[in-house]
Amino acid sequence: MVLEKEAFKEFQDVVGVGNIDDGDVITNVYAYNWCMEIFNYMEAKDPVPFSPIPKAVVLPSTTEEVQQVVKLCNKYRIVFKAQSTGLGPWNQPSVDNSIIIDLRRMNNIVKIDEKNLYAVVEPYVSGSQLQVEIMKYGLNCHMPGAGPMVSPLASATSMNGPGFTSPSTGHSARNVLAVEWVLPDGEIMRLGAYGQKNNPDFFYGDGPGPSLRGIMRGWAGTKSGLGVFTKVAVKLFPYPCSTDFIIKGNSPDYDFDIPDFMKLYVMDCGNFKKLEKVMLRIEEEEISFMCSYLSGFAVMAIFSNSIESLMDKVPIGQMKAPLVVIITARTKQEFTYKQKVMDFLIKKFKLENIIGTIYTPKPIFYAEALRSNLGLHGFIATGGFQSSKGVADTAAVCLRSTKSNIPLKQEFIKKKAIANDFGEGTWMTSYESGHYFHMESPTMFDQTEENSVKGMAEYMEKSNQLDLLKHLGAPFFVEGTRMHELFGPHMSNYHLWLRKIKETFDPNNISDSGFYISPQNK
Amino acid sequence: MNEQEYKLMIKRCLRCSICKWIPQLQIKSQKYSTICPSIDMFNFHAYSAGGRIIIALALEMGKIKPSKDLMDIVYKCTECGGCAVACKFLNTLEPLEIIVKLREKLVSLGYGPMPRQQQYIDSIKNYNNPYNEPHEKRLAWLPNDIKIDPHAKTLYFVGCTSSYRRKEIAIATARVMNAANYPFRILSENEYCCGSPILRTGDKNSFINQLNKNIDIIEKEGIKTIVFSCAGCYDTFKVDYPLERDCNFKILHTTELFNELLDIGQLNLIKKVPLTVTYHDPCHLGRNSEPYEEWDGDELQMMPLVSINMPEKPKRCGKYGIYDSPRDLLNKIPGLNLIEMERIREYSYCCGAGGGVKSAFPEFALKTAKTRIEEAENTGADIITSACPFCSTNLKDGIVEKDSNLKFYDISELLLMALGSPNKSIKESSMEVA
Repeated sequence: MVLEKEAFKEFQDVVGVGNIDDGDVITNVYAYNWCMEIFNYMEAKDPVPFSPIPKAVVLPSTTEEVQQVVKLCNKYRIVFKAQSTGLGPWNQPSVDNSIIIDLRRMNNIVKIDEKNLYAVVEPYVSGSQLQVEIMKYGLNCHMPGAGPMVSPLASATSMNGPGFTSPSTGHSARNVLAVEWVLPDGEIMRLGAYGQKNNPDFFYGDGPGPSLRGIMRGWAGTKSGLGVFTKVAVKLFPYPCSTDFIIKGNSPDYDFDIPDFMKLYVMDCGNFKKLEKVMLRIEEEEISFMCSYLSGFAVMAIFSNSIESLMDKVPIGQMKAPLVVIITARTKQEFTYKQKVMDFLIKKFKLENIIGTIYTPKPIFYAEALRSNLGLHGFIATGGFQSSKGVADTAAVCLRSTKSNIPLKQEFIKKKAIANDFGEGTWMTSYESGHYFHMESPTMFDQTEENSVKGMAEYMEKSNQLDLLKHLGAPFFVEGTRMHELFGPHMSNYHLWLRKIKETFDPNNISDSGFYISPQNK
Repeated sequence: MNEQEYKLMIKRCLRCSICKWIPQLQIKSQKYSTICPSIDMFNFHAYSAGGRIIIALALEMGKIKPSKDLMDIVYKCTECGGCAVACKFLNTLEPLEIIVKLREKLVSLGYGPMPRQQQYIDSIKNYNNPYNEPHEKRLAWLPNDIKIDPHAKTLYFVGCTSSYRRKEIAIATARVMNAANYPFRILSENEYCCGSPILRTGDKNSFINQLNKNIDIIEKEGIKTIVFSCAGCYDTFKVDYPLERDCNFKILHTTELFNELLDIGQLNLIKKVPLTVTYHDPCHLGRNSEPYEEWDGDELQMMPLVSINMPEKPKRCGKYGIYDSPRDLLNKIPGLNLIEMERIREYSYCCGAGGGVKSAFPEFALKTAKTRIEEAENTGADIITSACPFCSTNLKDGIVEKDSNLKFYDISELLLMALGSPNKSIKESSMEVA
């Protein structure tokens, strides 16, 4: 299906010649994404990495152009799917009658307010672009585990948003301040301080008036199911150490002078009970830049840049409950204090730091931690991975979820559908001094083998069922009508309220609800 | 990359967009964070390496068919290889090789190369050069006072562009070698196009014919060392020829040779060149000139879905391109002040001329050149220099188009200035590259 000529012309008049394409090559390219094959199979479709093909792709360059595009979509009853850097199946249209709004041309860092610690960005500014510019002021931003190449705006407004540096930089849902938002009917909504009539600015997200953050993104974001976000202010944080460093050498064997006040600890807590105690205590002390429970296999992965180098590290993989902690500081005194606290806790909990004794990682690991690149190591074993589970709750619930998932994972490892991470492949990090935690279970599959894709999809389905059965809460990827209807009845019927929001804000159901919720019951 | 590897690899793109930027860990500013001229210019994801990999997959799956639109996207790529350097930090994909193979497939299906590129290829087949110039005029660049030693074991492979279009580079190169009393010969009427424009646009069979013609004559003449002033010819001989046929001769770029001659005192730089200069790394001399390392290992399945290579397969990430020789050489020129752009070495931003883009899509090439010129201007340099006649041509075009105060000199011309003999005998030549 292609756009009618009249509609094409109107869209083109908005975005300009060369910024719209309805040819089969470009539209097919926009139908592809990582893991689409799994999501297709989970929806009883062929396990191919292509979604429905959009009718056209448009490239607006301003909020006003986005607004006009959205109004045209309403006029012609064409569903739109907005995307920024575009990683993941959530960027894909769910219906044939759709267009993609690619926000690539909106790539300005609008403002860096180093005194009030926030930056305002457009959709196509990447995490590393923002980070490198704010590093010039000695500041850091939160980056999701997906990596530094993804959009901070997308993560802050539309996705989950945990990251490796969450103990020190929080969570995307918590970092979002004022927002500029083109609603599904084309109205422009400005949230927080940016919505003030006089002196609008971006410094505050939840006023004046009632906060709409819950409606705007809720727990996991609407994935373009409720309009298009065109500007967002995100919180900034002091950079954890000196920013005066250079990554030397050549890819993939870079070298790095580890900053003076940076130290890594990898400790085997032995069991989940002890791990919980240790993590809670470390986070209570508020000393960590990074504090993650990673399975033994995942620890091997973050220290490796190829599958071959990962296999060298099998002894590390034997750890039962490894905890990876990085402390950083800007002064010697601060560093000494944090080290003393860590020494005390190591002694108290009878732990051993294997770094420098049993294992010494290459210095580039530290640079990757500082530039938020560690999540990408999930791909090195099989080339494909996806997370199942995904709990945001107490450490105890997260670990219960981890534990319950192990036999299920092992079942699919035995079936040779997913790769062998001993069944324990999990990542867990804390937020806000250990008051709550995030856990997900990255699982490796091979997207080039149909059996692996199908097996991975079945595993994810069963993992979701397990969450229901064991009362573990909604998983990381609770998205789309089917999933919300599965979990909603067990969670205060939240899905009914979600549906009301969708109906109210998007009366024509024009903002693609494929990864959000449809306005009507199926 | 064989057919099986290609078919497997095109299923593995993560659509992560890393191919659009210099490696994430190396990004130093938002302004200079990008690496791909094509996506920078055309914006639709299809114009990135990842997009082209999806096109390759969609084509294999029969979701799309070759078309004018498809050709436009596949050929609007300078094949600069920046995507491959960025992607391969953690991944094992070969984006550049996939693009080259995709072009080969299009040619084999009766599509491609682009019409203007085909004209160059026809010219190479008819006249041994892409410029429709008579083969017998290949030596027209050669001034009478250049000493050629017909018995030398070192060959200066002049290349079509320096022979016909950028004669000042050929002349400066020859004069520098003369100044060093470094004996060299040329192949005269036996020098044929290296085949780079054919290979890059996907006509593999014609490329192999060209390669065989050149290697046959080089072997027959007993040549031991070949010196190139053209980065494109250099890369083709050094990296692409050995993939098809054994090559028993040494390959040197002039920047390597001149640096050696300076080090052993065979060249004496007597004159100050008080210029502030920035150096542009040509893709074909930099990241793309890294040779393939022979790998004779085995793939071992460690567990279901997980295989490893024993020993580990070397990754070609641009590390072994030629970066230091030109910089060392410039730093040895008395009075010259070398200052760097932000995107250099394996992260250099393409001049915009490669992969047949200058011939098929001149506007795209020019816009890319302007981007690079602006980056050079921001260093505060007076001069931008490089070591490739393609880059030279496109960057000069960019300077004119941008009305920039920068001047371009080939690195051999700067060296000649330092030797006290400015390059006088250069006639105006057409600014055209294949």
